[in-house]
Parts: sequence; C-alpha cells; structure tokens
Amino acid sequence: MAAGSGGKDQSHKAHRSSQAGASSKSHKAKARKAGANGAAVVRGGWNPNLAGNDDMARAGRGKKRQREGQGAVASQESDKPKQPLTKMEKVDRKKRRRLGEDSALAEQKRQNPKAFAFTSSGKAKKMQSRAVEKEQRKLHIPSIDRTYGEPAPYVVVVQGPPKVGKSLLIKSLIKHYTKHNLPEVRGPISVVSGKKRRVQFVECPNDINGMIDAAKYADLALLLIDGSYGFEMETFEFLNILQVHGFPKVMGVLTHLDQFKDVKKLKKTKERLKHRFWTEIYDGAKLFYLSGLIHGKYPKREVHNLARFISTKKFHPLSWRTSHPYVLVDRFEDVTPLERVRENSKCDRNVTVYGYLRGCNLKREMKVHVAGVGDFSLSGVTALPDPCPLPSAAKKKGLRDKEKLFYGPMSGLGDLLYDKDAVYININDHFVQFSKANDEEGDVENKGKNQDVGEALVKSLQNTKYSLDEKLQESFISLFSRNKNLLPEHQGSNNKIEDHMIDMEAAKQGDLVEETEPDGPTKSDTEDSDGSASSDNNDAAPEKLAFTEHVELHGGRLRRKAMFENDYDDTEKDSHDGIEDDHDGDTKISDDDVSSSDSDSSEEDGEVEKLDDDHMGNMSRWKESLTERTGLRKSTNLMQLVYGNSASSMELRAQEKLDTIDNVDSDEEDFFKLKGEGDKKQKGQNDAYFDAEDCSKCMKYTGQNWKEVNIYERIRDRFVTGNWSNAARRNELSVGDAEDESSNDDDDAAVDGEFEDLETGEKYGSTETGPQEEDDRAAEKRRLKKLALRAKFDAQFDVSESMEDEEDEKRGFTSMDSEANQSSYIEKLKEESELLKQKNIAELNELDEESRLAIEGFRTGTYMRLEIQNVPFEMVEHFDPYHPLLVGGIGFGEENVGYMQVRLKRHRWNKKILKTKDPIVLSIGWRRYQTTPVYAIEDRNGRHRMLKYTPEHMHCLAMFWGPLAPPNTGVVAVQNLSNNQASFRISATATVLESNHAAKIMKKIKLVGYPCKIFKKTALITDMFTSDLEIARFEGAAVRTVSGIRGQVKKAAKKEVGNHSNSKGVIPKEGIARCTFEDKILMSDIVFLRAWTQVDVPQFYNPLTTALQPRETIWHGMKTMAELRREHSLPLPTNKDSMYKPIERFPRKFNKLVISKQLQKDLPFESKPKDIPNRRKPLLERRRAVIMEGAERQVHALVQQLQFIKNEKVKKQKLTKERKRKLHEVEEAKAEEVSKKRRREERRDRYRVEDKLKKKLRGRN
Amino acid sequence: MGKVNYKKMKGSQNLRQRLLLSTLSGTPILVEDIRADDKFPGLRPHEVSLLRLFDRVTDDCVVEINDTGTKFKYKPGVVMGGRRVAHDCGVSRAIGYFLEPLIVLGLFGKKPLEIRLKGITNDSKDPCVDTFRSTTLPILKRFGVPSEGLDLKIESRGVPPLGGGEVVLSVPIVQALSAVTWIDEGMVKRIRGWTFSAKVSSQFEIQMIHAARGIFNNLLPDVHIFTDHKAGLQAGNSPGYGISLVAETNAGCCISADTTISYARGDDVGDMEDEKKELKPPQDVGEDMASALLEEIELGGVVDSSHQGLLFLLCALCPPDISKIRVGKLMPYGVETLRQIKDFLGVEFNIKMDTSTKTVILKCMGCGLKNLSRKSS
Repeated sequence: MAAGSGGKDQSHKAHRSSQAGASSKSHKAKARKAGANGAAVVRGGWNPNLAGNDDMARAGRGKKRQREGQGAVASQESDKPKQPLTKMEKVDRKKRRRLGEDSALAEQKRQNPKAFAFTSSGKAKKMQSRAVEKEQRKLHIPSIDRTYGEPAPYVVVVQGPPKVGKSLLIKSLIKHYTKHNLPEVRGPISVVSGKKRRVQFVECPNDINGMIDAAKYADLALLLIDGSYGFEMETFEFLNILQVHGFPKVMGVLTHLDQFKDVKKLKKTKERLKHRFWTEIYDGAKLFYLSGLIHGKYPKREVHNLARFISTKKFHPLSWRTSHPYVLVDRFEDVTPLERVRENSKCDRNVTVYGYLRGCNLKREMKVHVAGVGDFSLSGVTALPDPCPLPSAAKKKGLRDKEKLFYGPMSGLGDLLYDKDAVYININDHFVQFSKANDEEGDVENKGKNQDVGEALVKSLQNTKYSLDEKLQESFISLFSRNKNLLPEHQGSNNKIEDHMIDMEAAKQGDLVEETEPDGPTKSDTEDSDGSASSDNNDAAPEKLAFTEHVELHGGRLRRKAMFENDYDDTEKDSHDGIEDDHDGDTKISDDDVSSSDSDSSEEDGEVEKLDDDHMGNMSRWKESLTERTGLRKSTNLMQLVYGNSASSMELRAQEKLDTIDNVDSDEEDFFKLKGEGDKKQKGQNDAYFDAEDCSKCMKYTGQNWKEVNIYERIRDRFVTGNWSNAARRNELSVGDAEDESSNDDDDAAVDGEFEDLETGEKYGSTETGPQEEDDRAAEKRRLKKLALRAKFDAQFDVSESMEDEEDEKRGFTSMDSEANQSSYIEKLKEESELLKQKNIAELNELDEESRLAIEGFRTGTYMRLEIQNVPFEMVEHFDPYHPLLVGGIGFGEENVGYMQVRLKRHRWNKKILKTKDPIVLSIGWRRYQTTPVYAIEDRNGRHRMLKYTPEHMHCLAMFWGPLAPPNTGVVAVQNLSNNQASFRISATATVLESNHAAKIMKKIKLVGYPCKIFKKTALITDMFTSDLEIARFEGAAVRTVSGIRGQVKKAAKKEVGNHSNSKGVIPKEGIARCTFEDKILMSDIVFLRAWTQVDVPQFYNPLTTALQPRETIWHGMKTMAELRREHSLPLPTNKDSMYKPIERFPRKFNKLVISKQLQKDLPFESKPKDIPNRRKPLLERRRAVIMEGAERQVHALVQQLQFIKNEKVKKQKLTKERKRKLHEVEEAKAEEVSKKRRREERRDRYRVEDKLKKKLRGRN
Repeated sequence: MGKVNYKKMKGSQNLRQRLLLSTLSGTPILVEDIRADDKFPGLRPHEVSLLRLFDRVTDDCVVEINDTGTKFKYKPGVVMGGRRVAHDCGVSRAIGYFLEPLIVLGLFGKKPLEIRLKGITNDSKDPCVDTFRSTTLPILKRFGVPSEGLDLKIESRGVPPLGGGEVVLSVPIVQALSAVTWIDEGMVKRIRGWTFSAKVSSQFEIQMIHAARGIFNNLLPDVHIFTDHKAGLQAGNSPGYGISLVAETNAGCCISADTTISYARGDDVGDMEDEKKELKPPQDVGEDMASALLEEIELGGVVDSSHQGLLFLLCALCPPDISKIRVGKLMPYGVETLRQIKDFLGVEFNIKMDTSTKTVILKCMGCGLKNLSRKSS
C-alpha cells in the first residue's frame, strides 16, 4: 500500500538524517569543517537524545514515526474501522516487521559507523528543512466548531454515471441498517446508523445541476464506478465540483466487477482504477470493491463492510457551510389555500419544506436561497420534533430493532409524518382494524382519560358522520384530555406523538381551522385574557371545560401561544397578581413608557433611589425579597422595554396612521395653522420620538454635591482607595447573581416559598459568603477548562483507536514533547477555540429555552419546517423527488448584486478556451447563475488588461456581474449544461477575490491618423479623431509615427490653416489635430496614438431556474456567440485589415541629386560633379573605322577559330558532366531509399523491444 | 438591475446607526417623514453632511433625497476606506457625531481608512475628540482591533459656533471582531483628563483643573489633568474652553465625561452680547464635570453612558460567539441602538438587571459579520 510505503520511506529518511545528527557528534571535526552554517543547523536542529544508541527508544520512535507517516499520507487510515482480529494482527505484524528492520539497522550501524556517516552537510540541511516543511504543511489553523446541538444526520451522496447501481446500493444499505426493503429511492432517506450517528442517503441526480447542488450538501460522497467500463466523465466532473465547494469526504465504490471472468484481468483493472483514483484525490484514498450481485443485491458482507466505513468517517467543518445555514429538503408540501389554486392554477404558491438544519444556526429573519428557484424570505420557521431521533441513552452495545428508525417521506417511508400542528400516521392496510362507528359516540370524553390518546384521536378523525363543528368539538375535547394525560409521559418517551414544539407563528399562520373563524380581532382579545388566566391558575382546568366551543378552541390553540409568553408569565408569577394585572391589562402602557424613555428613566431613578434607601436602612428579610422581586420584574421589563416595544411599534405606527386619518377632519379646521405647532400637540410624544435628535451623550446629571461626605462615600468602594474586598464582591457577586437568577428561571419555581430562599439572602450577603462564591467561580472556571481539554483530546485522538495505540501514545508522549513545543502555537489556538466553545455553551445553557432561541436562533440538527410564500407555481408543478431541494441561508450583503472579481483557470480538460463576454453558468455559494464575464490579467503596474480569451494554462482574472459572495468562495464555471455530450463539462474553476461596485478593466486602443499637411516639425493629422471635442480630450497625448518619431497632440487645427476645402460650400472636415514631432515627418508616415480604454462588464446575470421546469429538459439561457452563429449559419466576421496579403514593394524613385552652386564651389575637385558639356559631334576616336591587312586578318581568323573549338569542347564537357551527375543522383536516391528502409526496420525493432521492457517493468510495479 | 427592496423607516431618529447598519449589512433603506411636521422640515445640514461622508468612504452608494428633504433613499455601497480622504463636517454638529459611525465603518473597509475631518472638535452635545482618544479607542481594542493604525490626531481645535478644528482619524481594517466577556468593571485606579482653551486665556484651564481636583481629592490621589492651550491658527475660529475626564479602572475600563463651553451657535446673532455673559465660569465647569464623572462611576458598567451604543454595536458585529457585557443604566441611545441592531442584524440581546449593583448585564450572540469588502490575497 502506498500509505504504508510512504510511511516507511519517511522513516528511512528520518533515520538517515538522525544518523547524520549522530555522526555530527562523533565526527565533530568533520562537522566543523563542513562549515559553521551547516554545523549549526545540524546541532541546533537535532535533539542530542536522538543520537543515543538506546534500542528501546529507537523502537518507540520508529513506531511513532510510522504512525505519523500514515497520518500524513492519508487521514484515511484513522478512518479504518475496528476490524476483527485479523486486521489487527496484520497491523501488528507489520509493525513488528518494521521494528525488526529498525533494530537490524541499528545493529549494523553500531558495527560499522563509518558507513552511516553523513557525507554532505548541505544535504542534511536540505533534508532537515524539508522535514520541517512537511510538518508545517500538516498544520491547519483550527476552526471553531460552533454547532452546539445534536449533529444532523450526515448526508451521504451516492453519485455515479447512470446504470451503475446507485439506487441498488442505497437500497442495500437501507436494508442493512433497518431490515426494510425499499421499493424506490426518492429523495433523502434518514437512517439511525448507530448509537450516536444518523446518516441521510441521497442519490445524486444525473444532470450537472443536480450534481452541483449535491456537492454543496454532501458530507460524504460515494462515487460509484462501473468497474467493467472504467471511469466516466461524471465521476471526474463531480470530483471537481466537490473540490471547489469545499472538499467533503470521498469514497470510491467499484461495481460491476462480476463482469470479469478472468481473475488476473480483474486484479489488474482494480489496480489500474485504484491508481487513477488516487492521482485524482490523494494516494491512499479509499476505493471499495463490490464484487457482484447475489440475488439482485450486493453481497451482505460487503455492504456491511461499507456501512462500517461510512459509520466511522469523521467529518471536518467546511468553511462555507459553517457560516451558512442550509436545509436539505426531505419533505415538500404545497400549502396554498385550495380555493386560490382552484381560481387560478397558475397563482403563486405557498410551500413548506422540511429538513434538518445544518451548517450554522438559523434565525427567523434570515433570507434563503432555494437552489434552482431563487431568493425568498422565510414567512414561517418552526422547529419540529425529530422524526428520526437518536436512541435515548442506550446502554446496550448495539441498537435495538426499535431504535433502528428511518425516515424518508419522499420515498413513502416511515409511518409517521410530523407537521407543525398535526401528525400523520401511515398504517398499512393489512394492519388496520376499523373500529365500529358507534364506539365513540358518547364516550370519547370518558375514554380519553384512560385510553391511548393517539387511538382516540384517530378514531375521532375516522368519524366522518359528523359535521365540521361537531368534529371540531370532539377532537378538541380529546385534545384537551390528551394534554392532561400526556403530561407525565411527556418526559418519558420520545416516540410518543406530542406537539411540544416551539411555535411563535401560531397566530400569524393562517390554518384552515383558524380561517373558519370569522372574528379575528375579538379572538385575539379573548386570547389575551384567556392566556393569562390559563397560565395563572393551573388548577382551573375543569372550569375551562365549561367554556363554549369557541373559547375552548382558542384555549386549545392558545396553549402554544401561552408557551410563547411563558417566560414573562413565569417570571411574573413571582410578583403579585395586582402588578401583573397592571401589566397584562394593556400593552400600550408599556409602549408609552418607552416612548417617553426619559420620564421612564427618571422613574427608574426613583426606584433606584428607593432601593438604595432600603439598602442603607435596616435590611429586614421581607423587604429584601421584595426588592429582589421588583428587580426580577424589572429585568423582564427591560427586555420588554427594549424589544417588546419594537414589535408593537408597528401596531403603534398603524394606530398612528389611523389617528391621522381620523384627524383629517379636525385638521381641516385649522388649515391655516403653522405646520409643526398644530400637530405636535395632538401627536405629542410620538412625533418627537420619530425625529429625536441623534445624540449618544444624553446623560442628565443630577447635580448632587459630591463634596459632601455621605455622597462621595457611596462610591468609595469603586475606587482603589476603597475597600477592595467589597469591590471585588461587587464584581463577583453580580455574576453569581445572574446565574442564580437564571437558574431560578429554569426551575420556574413559581411558588411563594421562594421568598425564604437563602440564596436571596446570599445575594446581599455578608462577608462570609463571599469567599465561598469565589470558590464556586473558580471551580466553575476549572470545570470549563477541564471540559475544553477533554473535548480537545477527543477531537485529537480517534475514539475508535485501539487500546494498544493509546498506550503507545502515552509512551510516545515523552519523546513527542519536543514536537509539542513546535506546534504549541497551534495547540494554544486549539485550546482557545475549545474554551470559547465551552464558554458559549455554558452561557447559552444559563438561559431558558425561549431567550436562547431569541439570541441564538434555531440550533443545527433541529428538524425544521420552513414556510415560503409566493413561489412560482412551476416549482410545485415540476417538483421531482429525485432531485432533492437545497435551501441555503444568505448571509449579510450576499443578496446584493455587484461586480465580482475571481481568479479563474480554465479546466485543463475543457477543450476550448473561454471567450470574453460569452455567457457562462457559474456556481457560487448556494447559487447558480449565468453571467458574462470579462477576462483580464494584471499587468506589472497593477492595471487589469482585458483578455479576449482565457489563457491556455494560466490563471487569469474574471470580472462579472452577479450576486456577491464573500472572498475565498469557490466557483465552478460550466458552459454546457446538456447531458448528452462526451466532453468534460466543467469549463473553469475559480475563487472569489473581491467584490466591487465598479469594474476597472482596460484594453489597448490604437488610433491611427495620417498627415494631411506638414510644416517643419508640426503636422496636421487627419482621420485620427472624428471631432474637435475628441481632440480636446486628447490634448497632450503622446503620438508616434511608424518610423519612431515621437510627438504630442497639441490642439484641433485652425480652420483656415489646413482645413480649407477644395471646393467652396463643403463644410470643412472636423477632427484634424495639430501635432508636434521631434523631427519632421513625411507625408507617407502613419501616426499612431496608443491609449487605454475601459471595458465595461455587462450588467447581466440570469439565475438558473432549473427547479421551475421539468428536470429532464435542459435549461436554456443566453447563448454564446458561437452557438448563435451556428444556429443562423453566419460566417465569422473578418476584419479586412487583419488579413494577410502579399507585401507589394514598389521600387522607390528618388529625385535627382541637386547640389547647390555654392556647395559645388566649395567641394574639392574629386567630389565635384564633373560637368562635361554635350558635344554636337562624337569624338574622333569613335568616328574612325579600323581596316586590317591580309596577314593580320588571317591571324585574326585563326584565333577566332581556335577560340570556337575551345568553346565547343568546353560545352561538350559540360554536357557530359551534367549527364553523369544526373545518373549519379538517381543512383544515390536509390541507395538512400534502401538505407532508409533498413533504418526504419531497425528502429521498429528497437521500439518493440523497449516497449516490451517497459511493459514488463510496469507489470512488476 | 432589478428592483431594490428598501427597508422603510420613519423619522430622522438614529440616522447614524441606521446608515451604519445599513451599510454594514448591505440593506438599502428608505427613510420617510423626516421632520415632516416641523417648522423647518427635512434633513439638517449635519445629516446631509453625514450622507456625504458615507458617500465619500464607500464606493457606489446611491443617495436620493427628495426636494423638501423629508425623504431619502440610501443604497449602500462597498466600504472602500483609503488614505487622504477629507471631509468637511460643517458646524451644525461636532466631529464626534461623525466619528462614532465612522470608526465602526472603517473597520470593515477594503483598505485602512485615514480621513481628515474638519469642523467642530469640541462640543457639549457630542463626545469631544479627547474623550474619543482616551475612551473610545480602548473599547475598540477590546474587540480585537489591532492598535497599530488606530489613531486620532488632533491638528487644531474648533468650538462652536464657527469651528475650524481638524482631526485625522486612522482606522485599520479587521477580518472579524472577537467576542468579549466584559463584566468586570474593576475599581478606578486613576483619573486622567485633558483641558483645552482656544482663543481664551490659559488661566481658564488651571481653574478648571483646580476645581475638578478639589472633588477627586476626597477619593483618589492619582489624578492628572493635562492642559492644551491653543492659540493662533490651531485654535480654530471661535473662543471656548472645555474639559474631558477619564477614570481608568484596574480592569481596563475607561469611563469618561466631558463638556465644552463656548458661545451658542448663531441662529440668532442678536443675542450674542447677552450670551457672552452667560458662559459658565471655569470653576463651575471643572466641578460639574468632576461630579458628572463620579456619577458615571456610580452608575457602574464597563463603559460610560455615552458609549453604550458603540459597545452594543460592536458586540452584535462579533462572530457568532456569546458576548457578555455589563453597563450601568440603559440610556435611551443604547436602547435605540439595541432596537436598530435587532432590526438590521437580527441580533437580540438578553438583558438582565443585576439588582445588587443596579447594573444591567447583556448577552448576545454576534451576527458573524465578516469583512466582505476585504480583498483576499
């Protein structure tokens, strides 16, 4: 295995360097010679202990190193489940073997130390630095885990090309976990897989959109690969998507291995696929083999093993997901009123989605993005009881059958469906025994007390004979008795049907039941009074039965509402009823209180004063508790004062509106009144409140005389000159106070007996209780720290590690100390983050449920019901359970739209480069949208220069318009969404660099002009600009001619200078610029102006609405230019100037050289042009004829003949030579051909041999 | 592109927090009915100046104000920061008014902010720049803001009505703040102070210090008040004097009180002569401020009453960890801030009265705001 070998390798290396260290000691002289630098490093870097020849120590070290090596290469190793003995033994044997090797090596070393002496200090240094670097690379900044709730089921996405056995695998796994046969895999299926673990299986859809979404919610991806076929593109595409969106755990599963008949071939294929898989992920990534089918199922043993692997996987937090809440929808309901749908089947719908909350806490106000649909704000958020809870405090080893729950409503699994206010029970037909109808006519009420509630409920539901009114009545009677009945059971069992969910929206959300009620406002009134009454006297239940239907109905509904106000009630219970009446009587009073906060604060002041008096005076017990209670009341009041108002401020505003409407008449009367005076009186404080001055300094000082002793003595203890112990107690106590209060809240002990509680006495406590509290605090701190340490330890070391390993750990600790020092910073960070977490948990636990929810939001792991209003009807119509829906929360500023800059690289498997402004589909965060990026690259001076196409093998920048995402978010770009194409679909990957509101990308521009008139060094340039205005913009710009003469644009040319048109009446041409040059230019010169112009990025983005159409159709957005051209069969536009043409160069004609007379005169004679006058007659020498004599003539003739003969000879020789040469050439060519043939054959033979050799070698590997 | 969903608000109250939170959370706002029924309707000059300041510091923010100034739309942009930014704050409110939102805004910018603000440095209405330096900046440091690059330099003083002061504020950027548990208020170990006089005799300062010392002497010997007499160009355009006192506790809390005495803003110039006589004598100023500081100390809490809002805001902007803080009596400004925070960030505080010390303990879980505009390397 590579993991093992890697580890071994490292240990070897380490050995060698440690030997280097050893020899550095023994051969000091040598080391000194090696140079101060190297020696110092060697000496400083290596622990002298290592050089010792103690065998035992080395053995321990070797082992440790081996483990590290494994850890380094593959975190996978730790994932190995505890396997039966065989595996353990194997590991053991391996260890022993390695140990043996080690000891043998040590022995050798002792005998022949010189052989192990290090030869080069430089090499030792290099190796050491490499080792250190490796170590550092392993370290990560610890991320703070902020999930406090029970972890949600881990999502196991099963992905693979079609027909590879995905659903069969899920079916087999479900069967393994729950012993149930799953008919069909639709949507996520949650399963309790262990005592502390649940998993949710999802089948990844086969289209690219589904794959992208699946990659965003997967915790573990099972990549199914058809072994008989090999890898397919889908697997690699999915891997790439995973890598970009935070890399969750990945496990490969090979199927279809029974297609191989040949064992050897099978083995080879496995090996090959494994190595290919490793190169893609990391060496040692787990690839699982499913050998074949038995009775149409995977073999039990293998499924079992796979399940073990799944159940021991550890999941690390991924940064995007830990900062965004998300819900993988496992149930989807359309809750639009039927009437509305009937009226218009295409009206906007209201839907509810259900699922476990993952990622981070969800707050009520949060906006969400529904993948493939769009952004919505949540109109209702409810926590529901877990439909698939973990077994409660299981003592037994495994899971009992009853605890093997599973839940997959989309696949029609699970007998119970929980809703916000209903539970649906699904019973198979053959289990049902219909009860007789007459059974529940009269005695439902009686039975309710002693019968099972669920049964009664169902029975009452079965009864269809009755009208709605009667039914309601009955069901509510039973509900009521249920409430009484269930109270003791409440804590007992989880499996019972209960609706103790937190529900704040009860009033807001229109149910059918509520809608039947005609009188809204009166209802709320009765609710109010009823709520307070019900919570006040719990023993008034019988009285309630006497209420009329309506009231009872409300009473039944109101139970939840009462819970909402629970905390107020709880705390208010302590106080007198009188006070409470004062409160509940009208909320508006408190509103007014706030609006005149000044007066209120003064009121508070008064109270404070009073308290102070109490404090100073003799403190009798009852008074103390009284103050205590007022304090408590005040604390709730504070919350109300601050937030209660804001909730009702809407009301207030609405009321104000009404007021103004009412006031219209009265306003008309005093029409001429000065604005601001008339209204002020009527509206009074409200108006002043809206326009209150924004001032942080608004303290009104009371103006006491601080020179007086009794006044300044009051705060003596707040100074270092005062009593330190008093002051310390002030700080300490109040902390204790807060805790005490909260504990009181938790207990909700609302009994009068609380008055005598000793704790209250302690709060004002005498000095003796002080230290004790202090001790408590210290103890608390210690406890926190301990918890943190434990958690850290747990995180560090796998729980499933074998005992032996742990022992090893302990032994290894001593030698690990040095390393601990190295990574102590990391350790410290880890500790800090863990402490922070524990502190958070402690603080949150102090609060009661209600306020915890308010400040924290819904915890991760809760089963949520999210209501979304006004979604397009297509979403409901085209909802497909095979495509799980992802609902992700949107962080601050992420719904805003702007320019984003990403660092992008075209995927190396994508065949084409990408073109600027061609539409492309991006996946960022939860979103997918189409946009038109402009590619750019950063120049050396920081300018972003536009690129027309992405570079081949380089990163480039891309700027586009779209919803913003935080920096460092991963981006996947896809250009082609269609399924039926062979090529790799992922076009590019990127990370977000920054988000901007302005895009600044420049491109080069070259303005070309021609001189139309040339003065000395000034020229008028035409055709460069089109108007004088343009010239004005470019004044001072540098220009250049082709020949390299530099110049500058001056101004637009004056009309009369160069601009006179040839024929009169024609308007003179605009845009002629006057430029000056460093030298005179020619008329044939071309003048360039090189500048930069900004490229604007199109403000276009188009969210992918794949959930709003049938899933099998391909989403069509904006088309690329190439696609459009192909469709319309348009040719590529070509610029004529860019065409390559043969260069025509005319011979240049120069004018005659003219030398001025003055110059001629000064020139030396040699250089003077010699002026020879034309003669009328030629010279005599030319004119005369030469006549030869006889002998002379003969000689001449002879010479000529001889010459002729010689010429003929030469000619002949030449011809023969030519012929011979030609012949020779032909021969040569023939020979060449032959030799070529021979050489080719030789080469072929050689390659063949080499290939064979290579194959052999590969086979050996 | 697309329709912008504006968050609707009413009235001119809490304009600073609204703009700040709107910018930080990226929610566009629409404020209506700004002094609609007032004799002088619409936005005040300082509010307009604030909008301009936001426009200057951020990139691509859109502000639309209607004709009467009773309604405006604000669409936030990306906080840019940057060096050598300058802004004239006008003379209707002091620089302290602008500093309070700016210092939080600067933390979440793309680049560190260095801005030169001109206007009134000391005023009785807003925290003066001395207090800012001595009290506000240490609060920021508590939340993990690096101390290098966090500075306020006072170049020259300016008091109402004509101003003429100049300060340079530099704020570093952070990726995220860190949550605090800050409930130990400690004991006052020393009192420091700064007095200033501009265009008046430096004797005034000595008188103020003397009077203030007279009160502190009963409680604490470690009192040191620095003087800062300005004349000429550095003294701004109007005469005035003032004092800022800070009590430092052994738990590292700073509690401050300050005031400035000068002539009123000249709405009605005719009264100038009368008002000249009404200026508070320096002895009284010193005594009053010393008393005010003691009163603040008596209230308790880790910050004084004027810094409550900032404290709450910083807590709410932390990563999602629990922050726990203790303040004295909740001030209206603090309460308003709490409401705005809930409105914009969805962060609700758990507020508990601590009866024995008459202080208030607040707990919250931060909203986890990260610096979105920062460039990743």
